[in-house]
Amino acid sequence: MAKKGSGQNQAEENYLNESRRNFFKQSSLLTALAVTPPAFLKAAEEGLDEKAAGYFEKMPLAIQINGVNHDLSVEPRTTLLDLIREQLALPGTKKGCDHGQCGACTVHVNGNRVLSCLTLAVTAEGKKVTTIEGLADGEKLHPMQEAFIKYDGFQCGYCTPGQIMSGIACIREGHANSDDEIREYMSGNICRCGAYPNIVKAIADVKKGGQTL
Amino acid sequence: MATHQYLGGQPDEALDRVDGRQKVTGAAKYSVDDILPGLTYAVLVESTIAKGHIKKIDTKKAQSAPGVLAIIYHGNAPAIPGYETGGNPAKPPTGGEPFRVFQNTQIYFAGQPIAIVIADTYERAIYAATLVETEYNKDDQRTDIEGNKDKAVVPKGPRYADYIRGEADAYKNSVIKIEAEYIIPVEVHNPMELHATTAFWDGEDKVTVFDKTQGVKSTQRSIMDAFKLKEQNVQVNTDFVGGGFGSGLRTWPHVIAAVLAAKKINKPVKLVLTRPQMFTMVGYRPYSWQKISLGATRDGVLTGLTHEAISETSTYEEFTDRTVDISKVMYACPNVNTRYKIVALDKSTPTWMRGPGEATGAYALECAIDELSYAVNLDPLELRIRNHADVDPVRNLPWSSKYLKECYQKGAEAIGWNKRNPKPNSMQEGEWQLGYGMGAGNFNANRGRATVKATLLADGSLVLQSAVSDSGPGTATTMTSIASNVFGLSPGKITFELGDSSLPPGPTQGGSTTTSTLGSAVHDVCVALQQKMAELVTIQGSLLQGAKPENLHFEKGYITLKTDASKKVAYADVVKQTGSSQLEVTKDSQAGDERNKYSIYSFAVHFVQVQVHRLTGVVRIKKVVTVADAGKIINEKTAASQLMGGVVSGIGMALMEDAVMDHRFGRYVNNNLADYHVPVSADVPDIKALFIDKPDPFINPIGSKGLGEIANVGFAAAVANAVYHATGKRIRTLPITPDKLLR
Amino acid sequence: MINFDYVRVSTIKAAVDAIVKDNNSLWLAGGTNLVDLMKKGVMTPQKLVDINNLPLKEIKKEGNKLIIGALALNSTVADNELVRKEQPLLALAVQAGASAQLRNMATVGGNMMQRTRCPYFYNTDMPCNKREPGTGCGALKGFNRMHAIFTDTEKCIAVHPSDMSVGLVALDATVLLSGPRGDRRIPFQNFHRLPGNLPQKDNTLERGELIVAVEIPENKLNKHVHYLKVRDRTSYAFALVSAAVAVDLEGSTIKDIRLALGGVAHKPWRLTEVENFLKGKAATEVNYKQAAALAIRGAKGFGLNNFKLKLAPNTLVEALKTATGKS
Repeated sequence: MAKKGSGQNQAEENYLNESRRNFFKQSSLLTALAVTPPAFLKAAEEGLDEKAAGYFEKMPLAIQINGVNHDLSVEPRTTLLDLIREQLALPGTKKGCDHGQCGACTVHVNGNRVLSCLTLAVTAEGKKVTTIEGLADGEKLHPMQEAFIKYDGFQCGYCTPGQIMSGIACIREGHANSDDEIREYMSGNICRCGAYPNIVKAIADVKKGGQTL
Repeated sequence: MATHQYLGGQPDEALDRVDGRQKVTGAAKYSVDDILPGLTYAVLVESTIAKGHIKKIDTKKAQSAPGVLAIIYHGNAPAIPGYETGGNPAKPPTGGEPFRVFQNTQIYFAGQPIAIVIADTYERAIYAATLVETEYNKDDQRTDIEGNKDKAVVPKGPRYADYIRGEADAYKNSVIKIEAEYIIPVEVHNPMELHATTAFWDGEDKVTVFDKTQGVKSTQRSIMDAFKLKEQNVQVNTDFVGGGFGSGLRTWPHVIAAVLAAKKINKPVKLVLTRPQMFTMVGYRPYSWQKISLGATRDGVLTGLTHEAISETSTYEEFTDRTVDISKVMYACPNVNTRYKIVALDKSTPTWMRGPGEATGAYALECAIDELSYAVNLDPLELRIRNHADVDPVRNLPWSSKYLKECYQKGAEAIGWNKRNPKPNSMQEGEWQLGYGMGAGNFNANRGRATVKATLLADGSLVLQSAVSDSGPGTATTMTSIASNVFGLSPGKITFELGDSSLPPGPTQGGSTTTSTLGSAVHDVCVALQQKMAELVTIQGSLLQGAKPENLHFEKGYITLKTDASKKVAYADVVKQTGSSQLEVTKDSQAGDERNKYSIYSFAVHFVQVQVHRLTGVVRIKKVVTVADAGKIINEKTAASQLMGGVVSGIGMALMEDAVMDHRFGRYVNNNLADYHVPVSADVPDIKALFIDKPDPFINPIGSKGLGEIANVGFAAAVANAVYHATGKRIRTLPITPDKLLR
Repeated sequence: MINFDYVRVSTIKAAVDAIVKDNNSLWLAGGTNLVDLMKKGVMTPQKLVDINNLPLKEIKKEGNKLIIGALALNSTVADNELVRKEQPLLALAVQAGASAQLRNMATVGGNMMQRTRCPYFYNTDMPCNKREPGTGCGALKGFNRMHAIFTDTEKCIAVHPSDMSVGLVALDATVLLSGPRGDRRIPFQNFHRLPGNLPQKDNTLERGELIVAVEIPENKLNKHVHYLKVRDRTSYAFALVSAAVAVDLEGSTIKDIRLALGGVAHKPWRLTEVENFLKGKAATEVNYKQAAALAIRGAKGFGLNNFKLKLAPNTLVEALKTATGKS
């Protein structure tokens, strides 16, 4: 699990975070360089060493993704979506709008469905993330994945990872008690191909099956 | 290339999608899902004015930002050879000259790409792009069609000349007259996948591109033409496409920009458009003003039909649509005339959007027909039947097949059309007014040209290959179905490979022609392969020697004799007999002259029940029945999904889609998915998608017409007509939002 | 986005101190609005102070007050048994907002703090007095279909988009704050502002004041409630107009009532005068219509939103009917 667990004193953690950056700030040749963007720009203008500059920008991140622990170094501005797609080569989660307006980027963080495009990766410190790639058990598909195939709950397939992650959570949250409730609680996942009726059927079928997801 | 093999255990009629597993596990790779070593990230800088010139672009600050590898703009853009010779590299399907990216300082539309910034991370590229400083000489732009209709012109070319059959404007002398104007605002495709391109060069003259396109070969051609490269040196990979709906029918300037960027820095470059850029850089359904004038007898027989339309295009290309064509063939009316004009505005060029002109025109026509039905006090269904065109009234040719009357009947029954109270504003449920409406449509069913290669392997399995894409309809699945039936092999032993420009040439996926075109090619190549196998097994010394080829039966991987089923040869053994590891046939397939003898169209009818809230004006779709005559239905599952998908796009068109521009600036104000509304799950009830499923005997060997677009042609009218029936209010400007019902 | 600094804090004091000492810093809770605005370049803090570890997530009853911690998630509030039993109007209002995923990320405090979605505010190339005072109001003569019909200035006609806030203002909530100068309580009605001469200020917080909780007093208005949100599509869209209604019905007489509108002003719009009109009156459509006419007094359309002058009263009538029709 993550190196920094909940057991660790939070203030100490803050101090460490704060001072890690301060340390980097102070310890290099570029003593005068503060890590605020205008100063950064100035540094860039003066043609200072980019690699050293890069060093300043990142923060440690301990995160578990699909059961695998990672110790990473990320810029605070990196979203969870871009982290998993670009840096961890998990392209199953899709970018549809990058502004929390379509649901294609839905993943589970500690079991809850959230939008990874509006989640700063650093805020997922110590958390468990599940993406579409983490659902199947080897060759054996998750019941929701099977239901989507059975009911043809997709066409182009682009929104599908988000729909499936959302559908699973919808059942877990207790919001799949009727077709109308499923429709309402799945309205945060846009499907331009219009596969909605089949998506609803797939989720209703899995709910009926009664398995714990 | 994408390789699809059927893994399920269903009967042939309703195959699960062969790419289903890939899609539900996240394994399906779209255009930017491959992380290539050394990948760099590109971001476009856009013009903030709609018309004028760039006075100055200052990239100094941006250039010094961390991680920036290059910035290309008109001041330093490397030559694009195809541009220099004055050709049209990214050939527009319509008139004019395509916009040449980074070639000069002229601004044609707000959002025009004026620079591309490439950096080593996505975040750095975005940040650096914000540092590019641009000054403009701004001109006053014209983006509002309503204020510029007087500048509309008839598009060039014989297609768009005014059409007259019989007497023009005959409605003026009719006993019963309907004249009504209809407006559809700009709509944007907004497929879920953002348009994107990953490109990398190998030396000076070879390039590989992962691109989001609906036409693998046509994108290859565009890149070849732009950079003057040989076909074998341009590789386009399009394994999966996250929806197109028309936005991927041509190669847009951003693709050329990405390829150019990759050339400049000699590293792989990934360019992903932002969602707002999806409103200006990949086309849109243009705004349309239409006027339908109908003349009829008191019995509702049409005596005159005039369809006028004005739509928009850019100042640099002439985009045209078949907006008024539907009025020419939909009904038997002796006097029909059409007038179609376009206005050049300071916007980017539109393109076809699902249903294109037919969907636009059908909204107006089918609403007007509905208005007529009330004027003559006739059931709207009966009115349509009364004016049914038994032959093509434009060409005076028989239809290859037309089961529109069956569609009417089947649909009316399914929705309970006759149970409704025909009077408008007569049915309530609490505060909700209930209404029923219908709308019909047709769509030209074409067959294009395609080549498919079939390879029978030593284990008796079949591989089919063609350079085609699949943006959602289920190309590989449908082809597997066809091959399974024609070739006599279980679907689990068939693999369909697509999405690779080096495969035999396939069609662009558009105009509802893929099944007809590619399916016919699959049919033809399977037949050709069987012929080859027949020759092999009947010659002297072979397994069924002496048998006549017409006596052979191909089924479930075995060739048997029709007269003696005990004599059978496994496909695998036929391959073995050749002494090589596989048996190949490549077949080129295209239409014959059937189009000279028959008019070939798909037809559909949509029936809708709506509820309209008396106080708030909210419209809810409660029931939908859609019946399509699309010829033989190859795979029920994917076909039903196509039809449903069309209906959902029709719900969007009818009730909510509207790309709003602030004409003071020539810029969209709702260019995002929160403010531009496409239907969400709660907007969509259960949809009854029904088919006549009778093969067309003439269009092609498989009897399939087109389905993708007939699915939404006429739907918006069905909704508008239902709203009228519910409330007595006729809304002629889409979308039908609550405020329009409050007036 | 610029590559901002990021720190985490776990006490209110640390949170307040971090903001006070650095003028270019902002608190980060759920981030669903802030991260969005930062991507658009509308808000450009150079430092984010992550407050998600603060102990402000509890929902509890203290005496006769329901106290909801500022960091409680929207989805938690909507599904909470106590909230549903005691203040069901609040649950309905929260549920009507955004999407399930967003409600799983967004906090109560963040929901109150969210900025307007006016397209001129959101686009840094457009004139907007809220984002850049003095540049003008793009919506005034532009696309104002979603905008206010009650305003105290033509400098800004933006609406506050929060559904939850409409519920809270109706229920006489109190906002509990903690800041550099100590703790403070603000009646919810006074938390959000009208634009006046400072359109850039959405609310009455002073810099460094952190929302720690909202407090809702017990009431007898939980049997007949409704939140009606009228929008351009069935779900996942901002309100054209919304109405929050809670009634204490005695037989068919309105003993007590709370009313508020959303989508009509720079702040959630409490209808005190209308409430006073309806108290003691019969729960009939005739009375509702009169009340609605009262509610719309002083409203003004700016062109594309003129329909709200009809939609707002109609929505109120419908919400009243639904609330009192339910037992």
